Amino acid sequence: MSRKKLAIVTTVWRYLSHAQHMGDRFLVGYPWEGRWHTPPMEVVSLYVDQRPDDDQSTARAAEFGFQVYPTVGEALRLGGDTLAIDGVLLIGEHGDYPRNEKGQILYPRYELFEQIVAVFERNGRGVPVFNDKHLSFSFEKASKMVADSRRLGFPLLAGSSLPVTWRLPPIELPLDCRIEEALMVGVGMSDAMDFHALEALQSMVERRQGGESGVRSVECLTGGDVWRAGKLGNWSKVLLTAALSRSDSRVGISATDGRPCDLVGGGELERLAANPAAYLIEYRDGLRATLLMLDGATQDFTFAARLAGEPEIQSTQFLLPPVPNVTYSACLMRNVEEMITTGRAPYPVERTLLVSGLLERCLESKLRGGKRLATPELAVSYQPPEVSQFCRS
Amino acid sequence: MLSGMTHTIPNTIPKLSRRTVLAGVPATLLLGGLARAAQGPKRPKLAAIVTEWRYRSHAQNIVDRFLEGYGWNSAWHRPAMDIVAVYTDQVPPSDLSRERARRIPKLRIYPTIAEALTLGGEKLAVDGVIVVGEHGEYPQNEKGQWLYPRYEFFRQIIDVFRASGRSVPVFNDKHLSWNFDRAVEMVEASRSLGFAFMAGSSLPVTWRIPSTELPPQAEVDEVVGIGPGKVDSYDFHVLEMIQSMVERRRGGETGVAAVEALRGGRVWQALAAGSWEAGGFSRELFDACLCRSFTLKPGREGFSHAFPSPEQMAEMVPDPVVYRIEYADGLKATMLLLDGLVGDMNFAARIKGHETPLSTQMYLGVPAQMMPNYFNPLVYHIETMFLNGQAPYPIERTLLTTGLVAAGVESLWRNQRFETPHLAIRYEPTKESTYRRG
Repeated sequence: MSRKKLAIVTTVWRYLSHAQHMGDRFLVGYPWEGRWHTPPMEVVSLYVDQRPDDDQSTARAAEFGFQVYPTVGEALRLGGDTLAIDGVLLIGEHGDYPRNEKGQILYPRYELFEQIVAVFERNGRGVPVFNDKHLSFSFEKASKMVADSRRLGFPLLAGSSLPVTWRLPPIELPLDCRIEEALMVGVGMSDAMDFHALEALQSMVERRQGGESGVRSVECLTGGDVWRAGKLGNWSKVLLTAALSRSDSRVGISATDGRPCDLVGGGELERLAANPAAYLIEYRDGLRATLLMLDGATQDFTFAARLAGEPEIQSTQFLLPPVPNVTYSACLMRNVEEMITTGRAPYPVERTLLVSGLLERCLESKLRGGKRLATPELAVSYQPPEVSQFCRS
Repeated sequence: MLSGMTHTIPNTIPKLSRRTVLAGVPATLLLGGLARAAQGPKRPKLAAIVTEWRYRSHAQNIVDRFLEGYGWNSAWHRPAMDIVAVYTDQVPPSDLSRERARRIPKLRIYPTIAEALTLGGEKLAVDGVIVVGEHGEYPQNEKGQWLYPRYEFFRQIIDVFRASGRSVPVFNDKHLSWNFDRAVEMVEASRSLGFAFMAGSSLPVTWRIPSTELPPQAEVDEVVGIGPGKVDSYDFHVLEMIQSMVERRRGGETGVAAVEALRGGRVWQALAAGSWEAGGFSRELFDACLCRSFTLKPGREGFSHAFPSPEQMAEMVPDPVVYRIEYADGLKATMLLLDGLVGDMNFAARIKGHETPLSTQMYLGVPAQMMPNYFNPLVYHIETMFLNGQAPYPIERTLLTTGLVAAGVESLWRNQRFETPHLAIRYEPTKESTYRRG
């Protein structure tokens, strides 16, 4: 059997861009389960939307024997008339793109995807597509992308590495659990980073009894409103303490003096997290979850949940190993490789669809001063994978 | 200020036969041990005896966790015990102990170790002693060993125990001494005086990525451990990483027969040899370790994660060091210090009957940027000892790793294989592995 051929469609390929550290996994391999693994597939074509001074696409193409094409269509057809590849990596992250009034970077993922779909349509068939991070800044566009994949019957996998990276401790919530409340703590305070935190949260709570049925409303509070909501019990201080118990951040007095600091109990939290945000999410089945973005008070991504009938709070850190290795992207590419090999997405794209929509609506609420927004369009249902795909071997 | 270093301390501890010591016979069966402190004091009062307490020193990493608490399993955990006495051997301009003494009413600084243990009185007045003899300005001997005064501190501690007619549990950070004979003496004293003695670093108790342990009754052929850092500081950590795994092998631990150190070009020759039998070490295990690292220096510029070739590795690592360790039961272990190639601690083992190696990273995070929360489980284990009067894992492990690091240094010094009959140290590991899982 001949090796599968991959096309990479990306915004920019420079050192440490997503295209580079994800694409390179297919060129030079990556560590997997204690061995260096080279995926049994070939990158044969590349489309790159922007080529700044430090562009690496030309050099990579020359070294690894693939072609850079001027259009997405040609990249998928290898310059010919028909679909000529077995899988597509759509990496629409990084590069110089405008922002909208909600602060979202208007990456052209939908536009690039549409050009991929155009080739599939003309061919009467599609091949597996991976979309890095959220499908689009726009839920409407994201929905269309998912609809296209269903209509044409090709596997679509999306999202970031947070759901699949290492966790300390290596826990998942039990399938069919009953969650009383969940809380996620993140850093980044931007559309790009907030996606990671929301996706991590979703990858945990989707395992609850009844599966995922979507979100009823969102409310994005900022500043003092965040702390007031905590005092009112709209999010749990106990869960925040639990999540931060997993943090390895060096902030505040831990940075200046070096001693450990109980940020919640000791009262340092509000001073350090000077511009906090709280995404209060009400799911359709009644679950309440909160994402706290606490730049200044945290440098990592942590989670906590209280389960019905369980005395112990569940908590964990989503581990993001440092540059340059960024080993978490190997965990993600492993799942892409699996999809291209098996023809099945290891986890449902509906997760990413929901989180894409959540992010957009949360940022809208933020723009509208924290107004609670009903989100009937976010009635996205799916069953989680039986075993969550995070790295633990 | 190097107190306690310049005069010789007369050896007044009854000397047990080496064979008895090495067989790990508990003190209670030997020369009438002095009475132990009652187990389980309600809220133990602790003395901290440290070389220097400043930003990111081990004294800070350990003692500040007793004072402030730390994140632990979904809560902020405050140890139910108090540091009431501190002795600092050195007080650099960046010292933090005085600030603690001003801020924390229960904490007092004492000018001598004896006074720290007696709280200025006549008899032992604390329920436990923490010794952190790491960091500070201390001399190096001609073999490159840092002459931290852990033994000297220990002698002063047990002087108080003997004078008071009772002893309390003692924790010693990292290896017992740069000098193995002194380490033996320390262990013997703990047995004859009958106190719980715990030592070592956080490698054996931190997270493992992936979370894994040697299977029960595993027959282990060969292991490799790779870490960053320098001789007589980080070699100890890599050795502890190795030992905390291999001690659980079938037959238990029976000690080490010889250590052969290699440095510089000979390390790359050993890598090229590709196997133990050919004078090197298993290439498969070596590669497995590098595949567990999160900080593998890419082999090429412009690539974020490219497995380097041996030639590229040689360019990255200015001072590679290897200890090839022959265990008494035939196990082969290789410790590599490859500063410049990796920044973390990785281990791999070939187990009989297993097709692929077992491999894992013993996780320390990125110490410069993050909090060293691998000290959390270490402190938790220390607390357990102060509460129940028993060391959570055998002191013999640290006696062996102390001997191993000294043997590695010796072999480097002599530039030849060093036979180590004195390292025929036997012990059984704890029933449950003590690495962090939850």
